[in-house]
Amino acid sequence: MGKSMAVRHFIFDAIKELFTGSKRYWSWIGFLLILLAHGVSSYVTQMQSGLVVTGMSDQVSWGFYISNFAFFVGIAAAAVLLVIPAYIFDRKDVKEVVLLGESMAIAAVLVALMFVMVDLGRPERIWHVIPYIGAFNFPDSILAWDTLVLSGYLLLNAATLCYVLFLHYHGKIPTSKLYFAVVVITMFWAISIHTVTAFMFSSNPSRAMWHTSLLGPRFIASAFASGPALIIITLGVIRSLTDYRFSQTVIDILALIMTVALQMTLFFVGVELFTDFYNEGHHGASIRYLFLGIEGLGNLRPWIWAALAMNLVAVSILMLHSLRRDMKWLYTACVLTFFGIWIEKGMGLVVPGFIPTTLGEVFEYSPTATEISIALGIWAFGMLVFTILAKTVVAVELGRLKYQDPNPYRPRAL
Amino acid sequence: MTNARSKRAASPASGMTRRKFIKRAGAAGSLAAAAASVPAVSAGAWGGETMQDAFGTFFQDQYKKMSPEEIEEALARIERRALRETGVRIKCENTPPIPGVVFGYAINISKCKGYRDCVYACVKENNLGRDSQMQYIRVLEMDRGTRNLEKADHYYDSEIVPQEGKYYLPVQCMQCDNPPCVKACPVEATWKEPDGIVVIDYNWCIGCRMCMSACPYWARHFNWTEPEVPAEEINPLTHYLGNRPRMRGVTEKCHFCVQRTRKGLLPACAEACPNGARIFGNLLDPDSEIRYVLENKDVFRLKEDLATEPKFWYFSD
Amino acid sequence: MTLFAGSALLLWAGLVVWSVSLAQSEAEAVELVRNTTPDGAEFWVMPRKSELTYYPCAQCHKLIPPNPEVRKLFSPHPSELDHGDERIWCLTCHDIEDRNTLTNLLGESVDFDRAAEVCASCHMQRHQDWMFGGHGKRRGDWQGERVIYSCPQCHDPHTPTIKPRAPKPPPPVRKGLARPLHPEAEEYLSVWERLESDDHD
Repeated sequence: MGKSMAVRHFIFDAIKELFTGSKRYWSWIGFLLILLAHGVSSYVTQMQSGLVVTGMSDQVSWGFYISNFAFFVGIAAAAVLLVIPAYIFDRKDVKEVVLLGESMAIAAVLVALMFVMVDLGRPERIWHVIPYIGAFNFPDSILAWDTLVLSGYLLLNAATLCYVLFLHYHGKIPTSKLYFAVVVITMFWAISIHTVTAFMFSSNPSRAMWHTSLLGPRFIASAFASGPALIIITLGVIRSLTDYRFSQTVIDILALIMTVALQMTLFFVGVELFTDFYNEGHHGASIRYLFLGIEGLGNLRPWIWAALAMNLVAVSILMLHSLRRDMKWLYTACVLTFFGIWIEKGMGLVVPGFIPTTLGEVFEYSPTATEISIALGIWAFGMLVFTILAKTVVAVELGRLKYQDPNPYRPRAL
Repeated sequence: MTNARSKRAASPASGMTRRKFIKRAGAAGSLAAAAASVPAVSAGAWGGETMQDAFGTFFQDQYKKMSPEEIEEALARIERRALRETGVRIKCENTPPIPGVVFGYAINISKCKGYRDCVYACVKENNLGRDSQMQYIRVLEMDRGTRNLEKADHYYDSEIVPQEGKYYLPVQCMQCDNPPCVKACPVEATWKEPDGIVVIDYNWCIGCRMCMSACPYWARHFNWTEPEVPAEEINPLTHYLGNRPRMRGVTEKCHFCVQRTRKGLLPACAEACPNGARIFGNLLDPDSEIRYVLENKDVFRLKEDLATEPKFWYFSD
Repeated sequence: MTLFAGSALLLWAGLVVWSVSLAQSEAEAVELVRNTTPDGAEFWVMPRKSELTYYPCAQCHKLIPPNPEVRKLFSPHPSELDHGDERIWCLTCHDIEDRNTLTNLLGESVDFDRAAEVCASCHMQRHQDWMFGGHGKRRGDWQGERVIYSCPQCHDPHTPTIKPRAPKPPPPVRKGLARPLHPEAEEYLSVWERLESDDHD
């Protein structure tokens, strides 16, 4: 019996696991599939008519899609946060959930990539970015870098997850030096994907609001707030729905990281506000539009003030030890942080970068129903991927999914 | 001779593999057609396109990587498509840059009165989508005493121009010598030609709009919907890198009327300006009008602090 | 009687045909006027005479004795003279001796096709710019022989300021979108206007 047989057993068993579930499991999957189908049908409309079905224009040429893209790259980067305490500080408790973190990273990268795909005017030409076959503008183009780091990150995480799961399935633990090396690379890679994503914006002197060296740190800080927020919520859900158990210290360390990161995020926002408003100039025009509106135009005002309020409430909860340790309050803070950062980094950063335009025109943007439907479809897809991966992970870790030799009496060839 | 040519020769490997791939795809296509016993040139399937044309367009290589024969095929496909879709027999050319020529443009803002004649001459010459409402040139109405673009009026619609207390600033692609859009493009779908014109291969653009974010002059425009021109208004003299038919989902911009200027003609906007505010010519010719202006007038460029080195100047006298 | 009317009609018709054919042949053969810059570079100027409705002027003026008195003229001459702030009048530029030519401030007679040399009498800097390409309008090509328009082809010499006119329509926005109307749009004030309106009154 060779290695390929073992892989086949693993895949068959995993698929079997995915098709056994409670009514709640199936209604969740069904709900996601409905959202996904709705998104797909909206995408078909977009393919037929072009991006004219979105709210984007020559004035505001990126919108809801790229906003979500920027945010989910952050989630993907932060999901690997668990790797650092697990392997560098050798925290056994964190190691218990590290596979869930990687599953989330995979799902989030896929979501990010899909948001770029739906934003493309000519998605069928995506093969043009493949080096040698197409024409890859590397190293000049930051988007080329982003393509590279995101696909690399996806591969790294997928490989690690599959490798570890496969070993656990066979009742072994990963010991190889190569594996440790890959884990270390993944950590740095995680920082790089979000930095490069920040550079996609900050590399444009044409857009004064984005053109700040603070954008990279701001992206990382806000990712390290929103990422743990999502992980805490997810771990809570998994704990309540499955028999999977992990130490409360994992939640504690995540909540602490999140607290510090959210404090830094708010500090960075404050620094930006000061710089832009103290001596208001060209650089501050977008910020003025975002927070106050220009000449009565300010579609983004409710978004950004809501985000600011959510983040402030969240950080207040997190900074009070008694509240942070109370799971109900912590979950509230997590939800607030997640959506607060989602707005702040997406609609509150990508869109106002275009307003006023480089020729000074104040032109408004709001997403259309088609855009929102497609975005929901992609979210559903991401959650579907995560559900599938997490269910497998939980089954393997609980020992429910493990290799059973079909012929136990035959001596095993190793 | 030209940069494009030498680059084409320098990368034979990728070109070869792709050409083989195309051939194979083409063969597969004709096989399938034969098997289905459908006349290969019938309309209907492939949006009325022959299978070979559909495959050929899809697998078409980036302009600079194509061999001269491949470019000829691409031009023929564009002409066939235009004929099929609009009934107009267009000519799609591939006029190379003129050696020793780098184009430059200067606008005399004391002569520009804001008529917008240039805008509409451009729309007509360059087959800009009428339904999609594309325009390459934007004339800004500025308040005297300031050059703050945030105070510009893009949509002035007074009975007469010029209005008192205003001056006019036409903006279009500046054909930067250090173009941020070219740097931003992930697939090399846009580049600077040897004559200084920044062009786009509309068949290679993936529509990511990185270039639109990168451009400080709002020169790049996106085809949010299918650009359509009524058959009777189509300008049939076109250039692959210029005013040939475009498609939905790609960016486009002013290209100094490459189809005209490479044949020695003035760009349509320069010809249309009734006040002679637009001066165009060869920057490398010391006797050219553009050089006279640059050397004898007080010129300025927009957003020079961004180091884009526009080849588009403004002056007043 | 009918014979006379018939022959008169015929004569008239012949005259019309002849004049039309004459006009056509004139339009076909536009003879460019050669010119050189002070540096010796050659350029060509669009001829002016062929555009003049009543040229040659001497057709009528040979019958009229010259009258140097400054006065307002009437049709067929332009009745409005808004040029030079009343420091100049017809005979500043039109040659009183030879009605078919113009004259510069030195009193030299200048052909209508070389009108720019008359303008140059006062507008020296403009004339230099025009010769080198900093002012005026080039025709057709940017390359090869330089052909430019003559001054009176853009500026009516009697009212030379370019007249205001209606602009073409403002730019549309993307299909499916409307331009946001600024509800609180304010009139921008220049620095001096703001200073004037601030507490200074």
